[in-house]
Amino acid sequence: MSVKQLAEAVGPESTPRLIRRLHIRNGVALGVIWLIAGIVGALFLSIIVYLLVQGFTASAHNGLPVLLDPAFYGTTELGIGSELFNTFYILILTELLLIPIALSAAIFTVEYARQGRFITVVRFAAETLAGIPSIVLGLFGFIVFASLFQFHISRLSGALTLLCLNFPIALRLFEDALNAVPRELREGSLALGSPKWRMIRTVVLPSALPGIVTGIILSAGKIIGETAAIVFTMGVTNPFSGVFTLNPLIASDSLTVRIWYLKTQDTPAGMTSAQASAIAAGAAAILIVILLLINLGARAIGRAIERRVTAA
Amino acid sequence: MIGAQQTQRRYRSDQVARIIFFMCAALLIVVIVSVFIFVGANALRIFFDPGGATFRGYFFSTNWDPGANLTDTPQYGAAGLIVGSLVITFCAALIATPLSIGVALYFTEVAPRRIVRLFQPLLEIFVGMPSVVIGFIGLVVLVPFLTKLASGVTGGNAAGGFGWGAAILVLVVMIVPTISSISIDALRAVPQSVREASLALGSTRWQMMSRAVIPAALPMLATAVVFGLARAIGETLAVAMVLGGSDRLPQTLLSLEAFFQPNANITQTILNEFPETFGVEREAYWMLAFVLLVISFLFVVVSRYFAGRRVQN
Repeated sequence: MSVKQLAEAVGPESTPRLIRRLHIRNGVALGVIWLIAGIVGALFLSIIVYLLVQGFTASAHNGLPVLLDPAFYGTTELGIGSELFNTFYILILTELLLIPIALSAAIFTVEYARQGRFITVVRFAAETLAGIPSIVLGLFGFIVFASLFQFHISRLSGALTLLCLNFPIALRLFEDALNAVPRELREGSLALGSPKWRMIRTVVLPSALPGIVTGIILSAGKIIGETAAIVFTMGVTNPFSGVFTLNPLIASDSLTVRIWYLKTQDTPAGMTSAQASAIAAGAAAILIVILLLINLGARAIGRAIERRVTAA
Repeated sequence: MIGAQQTQRRYRSDQVARIIFFMCAALLIVVIVSVFIFVGANALRIFFDPGGATFRGYFFSTNWDPGANLTDTPQYGAAGLIVGSLVITFCAALIATPLSIGVALYFTEVAPRRIVRLFQPLLEIFVGMPSVVIGFIGLVVLVPFLTKLASGVTGGNAAGGFGWGAAILVLVVMIVPTISSISIDALRAVPQSVREASLALGSTRWQMMSRAVIPAALPMLATAVVFGLARAIGETLAVAMVLGGSDRLPQTLLSLEAFFQPNANITQTILNEFPETFGVEREAYWMLAFVLLVISFLFVVVSRYFAGRRVQN
């Protein structure tokens, strides 16, 4: 189409002007998109940097920055040693419950279930459960696990609540991992006369392992970061006898609960509010470091899968 | 003979495995049904127990005092808390949606691949960012800043930084990553041929995005926003830490001042008050949880509706 024809097509407005208008609009829109992305990126980056800087500058004790202060990792009021232990304890306890249950459910939906009413209901249940606010699940855990099952406010009640909270997410991640296994592998195994469960155990699960591990790591981040669901089920304080026991029936707090408690509830006896703030800042910095490591771990495994797939 | 026995044994272990897997999948349905039953049964008792609330009184009054701390008779007017939750949720979504779509367009249509590779992990970390950490930042950075900024509106109120304004901004930080990452998937799912066709017709890149790519991805983008809404309405820690807490709705709803004074919503009230309650008083809090449950269930249904439209197209 020549310029002349184009001009006739668009009417009285001259073509160079039309083109210029379009280009200006294009430039403005692209500029706005760059601007939005820049602002959001800078905001996110500065939040992480701020948290880390706070951890290395705020001081609660001896004038030392919290993250470099040995007392910060101890079990006194000024330390978070107990909370660190609790956080990893509840992580492992929850994963011990979550992995077998969610993986079994994923095996059923991917390998066994036929398209039908049951699978539709399971999908709808998973979507609904994923959308339920964690504080509502916290209350549910409180009435069912703590009261009805008589586990009281304990690590076990907390872990069971976190199981409910993370079940749909883990199911989704495990389903993706299983679905990524090529169909031919399954057919080959079945054609050799292997029963279905044996086929899943010896062929599907080993091939899906990297995806399963990625799923476990991603759900670990969710478990470590959760607060609302465990305030009413696991408690906000530690027993006097200390937390360094594997007993699942004692109440404990966690890093996240501790940050919330220090910043919004009454300042605990034996510290000033400035000290409470510094310790909360240190705990937040530790949380960020743990989550960064988790994210990097999931990423490294993802890359390893890619390498394996491309090498094969 | 031995072969037949072995086959039979294998068949039986196959059956056992199948039943275990089935039970684990069914557990999901058991959990969701019991959440509705337990929360609902505890909540609805408030309308039937002596000394409880009326339906009208609960949903249309703003006088919330179930513990009878201010007067001798408990008051169950939760409208203020429900309005608080809805206002901050929708305002946050209003701000977060254009930002998120901008970020998603940047990721899929504009940014050089190198920058995407750096930006993506950052976004993923924020999708899983613990809300207590965002609440902490809000409390130590945002609230003092807003107190200073809004002192003209609030008449120098020392607690003027708390309230809806701070909660909305904190929620924006919480839901932009969620909406962005789903929107990115939505835009990446648009076939490359749509873009090529649009560019081949002489479109500028912005025309290509606004006239071809966004309309093609619209149902999924809507789903993304609904997911953001669902996350915002149930967000507890971050919001609770910066709301400040108040039993009453602001006197004037539609003024700038209403956004810069300590306020309350559903999640903040449950988090701070629930453990110290008992009896009928506690049922009032169960009802708050049930309201939250119903709202988030509605969001799930709406997001399914949009997802269904995508399949039809």
